Amino acid sequence: MSDVSCASGVALLMDYLEGVLPAETSAALEAHVAGCPRCTAFVASYRETPRILREATAADLPAGLQQSLLAFLRARRG
Amino acid sequence: MEVSGPALTDEQLAARAAAGDQPAFEAIVLRYQARVYRLAWRLTGNEGDAADAVQETFLRVYRGMASFRAASRFSTWLFRVATNSALMQRRARARRRSDSLEQFLPCFDAEGRHTGTPEELQAAARVDERLDRRRLAEKALAAIGRLPRAYREAFVLRDLEEMTTAEVAEVLGLEPAAVRQRVHRARLMLRGFLGALAGVRP
Repeated sequence: MSDVSCASGVALLMDYLEGVLPAETSAALEAHVAGCPRCTAFVASYRETPRILREATAADLPAGLQQSLLAFLRARRG
Repeated sequence: MEVSGPALTDEQLAARAAAGDQPAFEAIVLRYQARVYRLAWRLTGNEGDAADAVQETFLRVYRGMASFRAASRFSTWLFRVATNSALMQRRARARRRSDSLEQFLPCFDAEGRHTGTPEELQAAARVDERLDRRRLAEKALAAIGRLPRAYREAFVLRDLEEMTTAEVAEVLGLEPAAVRQRVHRARLMLRGFLGALAGVRP
């Protein structure tokens, strides 16, 4: 795994970030990304994607649902 | 509710609830309702469906409490019930258009090199500086809703609810490697989608 391309590197990204790749494969991937501006940019956007979507979809329990939920459950329990 | 203070573990509360202790059951509801709602909201993309899924989840948990086995963590079981309830709500609705997100997967040339420029490839990382929050939320929920179910549930639990891969594997009954593969695929599609929102052609 010394010959990493952008495509083969992208395929390994999740496993790399989760720390489940063999050390040698990780090192080869890091070496490729360090020398490839496109992969550096790609990795940055790949890593930011979960955060952006997490923040965009944050939601609080609507006021009123808590009360109606307990009332609903109490009614079903009899 | 003083008998069920925060000092009790989920499993202790569940054991009491299974024995008919109503305050213990309601303590579980209070402890998890906000997280279950947020999960359902992210899976359904709709407030009404999310609220229905929350009711359905706790009703099923209540009815299934006696069958819950302390062999697994209570929260794992709860989130499994919640995920299934949310996805059933979604399915119960009129079928929406769900065209594929595959067009947003990264593109490579014959040698396996990225075809985009670094600026284009990084654009997704800054989409939240370019779109207002409300519009981004709408687009994000719609895109998550277009993921195939297998990818959607894994991505939402892992990346939006921030469970570990091992926890997601337990909730969904998958091997961790399968979770990683699904989450990775979802990230690739959604990353490309965010890039398109930021003005980059797929």
